[in-house]
Amino acid sequence: MSTNIDKLHDDHHHTPTGIMRWITTTNHKDIGSMYLWFSLIMFFVGGLMALVIRAELFQPGLQLVVPGFFNQMTTMHALVMIFGAVMPAFVGLANWQLPIMIGAPDMALPRLNNWSFWILPFAFTMMLSTLFMDSGGPAAGWTLYPPLSLQGGDSFPYTILAIHMLGLSSILGAINVIATILNMRAPGMTLMKMPIFVWTWLITAFLLIASMPVLAGAVTMLLTDKFFGTMFFTASGGGDPVMFQHIFWFFGHPEVYILILPAFGIVSTIIPAFSRKRLFGYDSMVYATASIALLSFIVWAHHMFTVGMPLAGEIFFMFTTMLIAIPTGVKVFNWVATMWRGSMTFETPMLFALAFIVLFTIGGFSGLMLAMVPADFQYHDTYFVVAHFHYVLVPGAVFAILAAVYYWLPKWTGKMYNEGLGKLHFWLTTIFVNLTFFPMHFVGLAGMPRRIPDYAVQFADFNAIASVGAFGFGLSQLVFVYILFNTLKKDVTAEDKVWDGAEGLEWTLSSPPPYHSFEEAPKVD
Amino acid sequence: MSSFKKTYLSLTLFTLFMFSFSYMLVPLYDIFCEITGLNGKTNQTKVLTVRENPTERFVTVKFTSTVANSAPFTFEPIDREIIVQVGKINNTFYTLTNNTETVKHATASPSVVPHEDAEYFKKIECFCFSQQQINGLETKELPLQFIIDNELPNDTRTLILSYTMFNTTDQMGSK
Repeated sequence: MSTNIDKLHDDHHHTPTGIMRWITTTNHKDIGSMYLWFSLIMFFVGGLMALVIRAELFQPGLQLVVPGFFNQMTTMHALVMIFGAVMPAFVGLANWQLPIMIGAPDMALPRLNNWSFWILPFAFTMMLSTLFMDSGGPAAGWTLYPPLSLQGGDSFPYTILAIHMLGLSSILGAINVIATILNMRAPGMTLMKMPIFVWTWLITAFLLIASMPVLAGAVTMLLTDKFFGTMFFTASGGGDPVMFQHIFWFFGHPEVYILILPAFGIVSTIIPAFSRKRLFGYDSMVYATASIALLSFIVWAHHMFTVGMPLAGEIFFMFTTMLIAIPTGVKVFNWVATMWRGSMTFETPMLFALAFIVLFTIGGFSGLMLAMVPADFQYHDTYFVVAHFHYVLVPGAVFAILAAVYYWLPKWTGKMYNEGLGKLHFWLTTIFVNLTFFPMHFVGLAGMPRRIPDYAVQFADFNAIASVGAFGFGLSQLVFVYILFNTLKKDVTAEDKVWDGAEGLEWTLSSPPPYHSFEEAPKVD
Repeated sequence: MSSFKKTYLSLTLFTLFMFSFSYMLVPLYDIFCEITGLNGKTNQTKVLTVRENPTERFVTVKFTSTVANSAPFTFEPIDREIIVQVGKINNTFYTLTNNTETVKHATASPSVVPHEDAEYFKKIECFCFSQQQINGLETKELPLQFIIDNELPNDTRTLILSYTMFNTTDQMGSK
């Protein structure tokens, strides 16, 4: 693969410049970058909302915002972080990495790819615009349970339509990912030779197209209940609001694995690179990922143990949920075994990956506690749940995304980030993330309910600590932004193979890779 | 290129299938509730064939009522509690008062506790089968006729029938 040929080839293209380049681009690298920038912006938008929440909760009593606005903040924070920050970040990584990892020239459906991305800014403009309406934004929680969500004001149809658009974007993206992986691998790259990140994304994409349409169906039913007189969830017409919870979580549980499986793939890529060993138990990693995905469709009711279910149902959902700990445990042990007797070094991506293993496992354990029906009756809708899912999403998904950005940024840009600043960012982030979320376990076990703007005074100290942690965490992310811009200003100096332990086709390309790479498929033995 | 097309086609069809699956979950949920007796749903329409076959067994039936979303109604059972003979038809009624001066529509939604015994509580005549129209400040008697099935498990001694009354005036207006 000669870079010169690619450069000559580039000259034949008359691509638009300026803003039109980004609006009309069908290049997977451009689209990947746009997804990642968009995700970063949304991360700060959602983060600001989290800081409003934490500022209000710094002390008991109502200080800064009215309860209605507080509820809008909790709802929007979740919607923005899930659909705006974490999912687009993973799709951005998929766009950048999948083609250069499997030796494909681009994604299978480049124009659709462009459209998948450009739906997002419009969807979020619409969703965020509801905050400026008289009725305010959606305030019934991101789970949109009726009848509360049906009582929302003018924001309701806007939120639903925005969710439809986000779903559409995700489904199109997922179809693109599957088509690329199944049809465009380099000759010789069998399924069981694919990089593990590609495997996790393939499975994630299947989860997306299996679960997002169900969400679309559920919110459409809400919409017709509100405006067209259907009675799906309206008890006065023979409907059942609990049914919404079942349909929602039938989407919702696969969704939480959509938010974590690509993170598993990233960590499984980075740990071997900095341990200078092959990934321990590649096959078992693939099977574990697939079994987590399959199990995710039969555990949904563990989100709603307290709504009133027959005992047999509670036992079934309790045991299937606890079963998920087995494939997840396989992964954690495989990561540890990969590091065993490796020549480890601790660059920023590795630090984030290591913190991921430790902190994600804490989140996994609290998940196991929540899986137990008798215990869940105590934990349900308390801050313990908040602590649990933030441990799997922030030091879980977000740490993996940060690790991936540090790991591949020199490849994408050809420029090396400042290692010292990277380590500073890591330590600040890790300390503050624990300061924020660890005390939530304690207040949750003591009975502090989630989604409330005020609380009993005995929870005051831990809440104050969590609020300090949250502001520290938020400010630490400015270090990350500084590192990004600081890196982009530098000269191209990175080697093609940035990390000496890194494996994979992407490291055979130049740093930065040519605009069009692998137009001739590489050979994989 | 046909392998590409096959992938796109099957993935698109799968997406459409999953969308319709979310709607299929609605009847599936009802079937599931019926099989498991979950939700305490009683018969939604009249039981047409009733055979009286009185036994020597007696159970307590309690009646409760709720008005949903602070609707302007007073809704009470006339009997709080009656002792009924299993297999024999019983009659009672609820009263509904409209506390406003305008015509209102109301619908009641029933539920039986314990949930798993809901299927043995058979309503022959129930105001929950239809919309109630009630004039301003009017009080109406809403009759209820039911039979407890002979198949009721022996360990059940008490059944509670609960009604929630919904104000459906707006829904009627939009139709």
